[in-house]
Amino acid sequence: MAEPPEDGDEGGAADATPGPDGLWHDDDIYLGGEAAVSHSSDGLPGNERAATGGDHWFSSLDETADPDAPMREMERRMETGRTPVYPLDARRRVPMEFVWKRWRALAMRGRSDVVDDFGRDPIATARWEWVLDFLYSKWFRVEASGVDHVPARGPALLIANHAGSLPYDSAMVMHAIRKDHPARRDVRPLVEDAVFHLPWLGPLMNRIGGVRACPENAERLIAKGEVVAVFPEGVKGMGKLFRDRYRLQRFGRGGFVKLALRTGAPIIPVAVVGSEEALPLLARVTWFAKSVGIPYVPVTPTFPWLGPLGLVPLPSKWKIRFGEPLHVSREYGPEAADDRLLVGRLSEQVRAQVQTMVDELRA
Amino acid sequence: MSRVVAITGACTYLGTELIRRLEEDRRYQKVLLLDVREPSALAEGATKARFFPIDLTQPTIDAEIATLLDREGVDTLVHGAFLAHPTHASEWAHELEDVGTMHVLNACAAARPARFIMVSTTMAYGAYPSNPNFLDESAELRGHKDSRFINDKVRAEKQAFRFARENPATRVTTLRFAPILGPTVSNLFTRFFSRPAAPVMAGHDPLLQFVHESDAAWALKLAVDTDVDGPFNIVGKGVLPYTTVLALMGRVPVPLPYLIARQMSKALWATQVFSSPPSLLDYLMYVCVADGARAKQELGYTARFSIKRTILDFLGLRPEDGATDVARAQG
Repeated sequence: MAEPPEDGDEGGAADATPGPDGLWHDDDIYLGGEAAVSHSSDGLPGNERAATGGDHWFSSLDETADPDAPMREMERRMETGRTPVYPLDARRRVPMEFVWKRWRALAMRGRSDVVDDFGRDPIATARWEWVLDFLYSKWFRVEASGVDHVPARGPALLIANHAGSLPYDSAMVMHAIRKDHPARRDVRPLVEDAVFHLPWLGPLMNRIGGVRACPENAERLIAKGEVVAVFPEGVKGMGKLFRDRYRLQRFGRGGFVKLALRTGAPIIPVAVVGSEEALPLLARVTWFAKSVGIPYVPVTPTFPWLGPLGLVPLPSKWKIRFGEPLHVSREYGPEAADDRLLVGRLSEQVRAQVQTMVDELRA
Repeated sequence: MSRVVAITGACTYLGTELIRRLEEDRRYQKVLLLDVREPSALAEGATKARFFPIDLTQPTIDAEIATLLDREGVDTLVHGAFLAHPTHASEWAHELEDVGTMHVLNACAAARPARFIMVSTTMAYGAYPSNPNFLDESAELRGHKDSRFINDKVRAEKQAFRFARENPATRVTTLRFAPILGPTVSNLFTRFFSRPAAPVMAGHDPLLQFVHESDAAWALKLAVDTDVDGPFNIVGKGVLPYTTVLALMGRVPVPLPYLIARQMSKALWATQVFSSPPSLLDYLMYVCVADGARAKQELGYTARFSIKRTILDFLGLRPEDGATDVARAQG
């Protein structure tokens, strides 16, 4: 077909021209496309345009030019209606809903949609169980004794010594009760702020049962009848150097005694031996740590030197002993919580007992 | 005894829902709607509700409200004219929330209605690393150090507290709502969670709490019905970690270090690209969960929707569409 070049250009331009009302319609765009194809095949529009002198691509609708034009136009539209119009179809049928549902299912893997009040996630706990179990029975070869002193039901306060730059000891105390206690109770260790707000480690400890250490949380846990593990030495205990090992620091401000007096929960002294050797702290770097928001950067035989790998504990032999429960509330009554001297004395008494137990275990 | 209730901020979600519930309750004789425009609830054949155009940002509006309260014999004033979205027009927002509350309280001091009920939010407690897992009503309202959206609400609450001390004739009730989520409500959180992706503060995963919109509306009605005073936390059932909320919603978590996220968020807020303020990031970093025990004891309010149901309802999904199930995953 010998078409004038400007006509061909017009046919092409038809695709990119808005409809007669000056607006774009999806229909127009795709009709235009189809029209251009058919035009080039039979060459009719060229003749029509020549006849009417119209320069509009829809001039075939002009009845004065060709009485059969509307019918042909309708047929053509039906024809195009039968052919799938890919861009539109694809836009309508993108399986977004399916993708979204798959994504939700994928994202929920390894986490539960029901957590307890303090954020313990049963699925996440089950998922990390093997790590704790490996550390407990293979790596540290923990020997737990006196587990029966922990009541099978009802609240209890486990008061333990704290050591090692990372809270491996709270994880091991927690796991000892879950594994060796006949009732397999879940211990909720209270985690000091310095660890609880550490990136990644804090949320992880929270998911497997750790709770931020503060009086309100402890009281709520005890009221729910949970076993709470408290490390009254706090960061001071965790950050003591290897040369001060197993020398217990001050027991906070005796908050745990007040808690035990008020709630009537028994105090169970716990001695942990082995934790000091797992990550022996040689030095504390503090000048750099403040800007990162941690109390100190630990220096251990492995830590800064091996990078994150240095936080893997040394396989020291651990012993955990649970002592006789002290029912301070039975002895003094709940109103004794306001007696500061008594609280201080009881706190020191528990500290001395834990120290004795630690010394016995080491001997 | 038939009661007359006035509602400021009648066009808000809670205001509209309260009008609907009061319309159906025979104990209430009249409901006065105070707002800048007529709430749509009025057009739906309300018989008790009457609309009065009141703009709380006007300087002498307190006298106007006082005469209105006196003339209509209002016994309960519900003050709900608070913004659900933070706005860039922070001066205007301050006039409306902080100064507007002053006007309303001035009017109350003059007209002495029996009860004054204010709508607030648990965000007023502020998200801080030192927060306990559950904040009760006695916790200090610390707000946020540079968020006017939250601090205006804290100031309004403090004014109401002072008013309660100085005007024993009026019983003051404050309802601190946890973030309200649901299929129809629109607020900061529904907007935030409607986006396909959401920032996660790298390494932080606090517990979040929501209250279902119908629970929230029910609690407000209960507060109007029941003769109580003091602050109440209105919370939903249960908590979930932030990343689990995102996973349940099918949103893509974008982990960002706090400092970078904060600068980005500030820039996006300043250029008005995003409508979520930088202060929201703190609530994605530290826990700010309230304890609803007091509302349960004194108000008789217990959430009917768990947090998971609330989220599924927000997404428009049925409960059986839940992604995982504890029993199934453990079995």
